[in-house]
Amino acid sequence: MRYGGEGRTRLLLIILIVTALFLITLDLRGVAVLDGARQGTQTVLSPFQKAGNFILSPVKNFLTDVTHLGRTRNQIEKLRADNAKLKADLINRKNADAQLKQLESILDLAGTAGYKVLNTRVISQGSSQSFSQTVTIDSGSNAGIKKNMTVLSQSGIAGVVKDVYPTTALVMLATDPSFKIGVRIAGTQQIGILSGRGSRSGSLQLLDNLTTVKVGDVLLARGSVANRPFVPGVPVGYVTAVDNSAGEIAQSGTVRYYTNFGGLGVVAVVVAASSTNPGDALVPPKPVPTPIPTVTVYVTPSPSPTK
Amino acid sequence: MLTRQISLSAPIFLFIFLVQEAVVNQFKLPGGGFSLFVIFALVWAVISTPEIAALTGFGAGILMDMSQSAGGPVGQWTLIMIIICYGVSYLSYGDGNINGNPVGVVFFVVIANLSTGLLFLASSALLGVTTGGFGQILLTLLGNSLWTLALTPIVLPAFSFLHNFVFETRSVL
Repeated sequence: MRYGGEGRTRLLLIILIVTALFLITLDLRGVAVLDGARQGTQTVLSPFQKAGNFILSPVKNFLTDVTHLGRTRNQIEKLRADNAKLKADLINRKNADAQLKQLESILDLAGTAGYKVLNTRVISQGSSQSFSQTVTIDSGSNAGIKKNMTVLSQSGIAGVVKDVYPTTALVMLATDPSFKIGVRIAGTQQIGILSGRGSRSGSLQLLDNLTTVKVGDVLLARGSVANRPFVPGVPVGYVTAVDNSAGEIAQSGTVRYYTNFGGLGVVAVVVAASSTNPGDALVPPKPVPTPIPTVTVYVTPSPSPTK
Repeated sequence: MLTRQISLSAPIFLFIFLVQEAVVNQFKLPGGGFSLFVIFALVWAVISTPEIAALTGFGAGILMDMSQSAGGPVGQWTLIMIIICYGVSYLSYGDGNINGNPVGVVFFVVIANLSTGLLFLASSALLGVTTGGFGQILLTLLGNSLWTLALTPIVLPAFSFLHNFVFETRSVL
C-alpha cells in the first residue's frame, strides 16, 4: 500500500500481464514456436541435468535412505544384518549394483512378455511446484523414443512418455494425478480404470457393476490400440482396499503400485510390443514363506555306563 | 543504468534456474520439496521497486514456463509470477519494517510462495490442468511453505548481497 503506483508502472504491469495472457492463448492454440522454445531449453539443460545426476547420486541415495528410516524400522533391522554381511562387496559398487539389479529385473519382465525395450537412466525428478509427478530420462527422440510409449520399472509400470526431446524425454509417472490407465484383474479379467493420486496408491474404478474385486487382486495393464500409450500385460499393482459403498454404481478400490517411485534409477521404454498378448504371464509371484528346518535328535542310552 | 541492471540480473537468474533444474530437482524431498528459483525471485521482488518486481516476475515466470516440468501451458507461470512479484513488492515497498528487516522479508516470501501455489491451483482449474487430490495438494502447499520458511533465512544474505550488487544499494539484510 506504500507505493504510489505511478502510471508508468501500471502501464508496464498491464503490458506484462497481457503478454502472459497472449502466451497462454498461443500455447493453448498449439502454436509450434512455444513448443520449440521449451524443446530448446530442455536441450540446453539436459547436459547439466546429466552432470548433476552423476555428481549427486551418492547424496540422493543417502537422502532416500534417511527419509525411509522411520517408516520401515523393522525392515531396516533385518536389512542391517544382511548389509553387514555384504558391506565389503558393496562398498565400491553400491550404486552400480543397484542400477544393474533394476536393469536385470526390467529385462526379465520385458523378456517374459516379448517387449522390445530401451533402457535409460533417470536423470532428474520433476518439480512438485506444479503438483505433477514426472521424471526426466537420458534418452530421447535420437534413440527412437516417441510420445506415449509405456515406461517400465523393475517391478511393473512406471509411467508413460509425455514429451520427447532430442536427447531426453519427460515421463509422466503413474502416480501423477492426471495419469489414467485401463487395467484388468489377473485371473478374472474384469476391467477398470486406475487413476494416479499423487502418492504410491491409486484409485481403481471398475466398469461393470456386476463384477467384484477383492483385496490382493493383481492388476495388469489392459493395453491400448496399437500398443500406445500402454502395452498389454504389464503388472501395475495390487488391490489394498475395496469400497463397497451403496451409492456407487460399480465397485471401486485403492491400489498400491508395484513400482517404488522414490527409488527409480533405471527404467525401460517399451519401443515395440510383442505380437501376442502375454496374458497373465507377468503376474509377480506371491512371496513364499521360507520353511524352517527342524532337527530331531534321538538319544539311545549305552548299555554300560561311561566312566 | 537499466541496461547494466538487466545485463547483471539475467545471468544471475539463469544460474539460479540452472541450479534448480540440475541440482535441486535431483532430490525427491519430503513434503514436495522447495523451489530455490521461486524463493530467489520472491526475495528479489520483495526488496525491489514494484516496477522491477513486475519485470522480475515476468523473467522468472518465462524461465519457469520453459522448464519441462511446468505442468500448464506456456505463460501460466509468467502470469502468476508477475502478479505475485508485483503484489509483494507493492505491499512492502517503502516500508522499512518489511523490506529492511530480514524477518519481514522471510514472512513475505513464505506468504508469497503459498499464494503462488494457490494461484497456480486456481489458474489450473480455469485452464483445465489436473492438479491432484485435496490431501496431496494440502501436503504439497504445507511442505513447500515449511521448506521455504526453513530455507529463506539461510539464502537471504546471499540473495540480498546479489541484489545490492546489481542495484548498487547499500543496505544488506
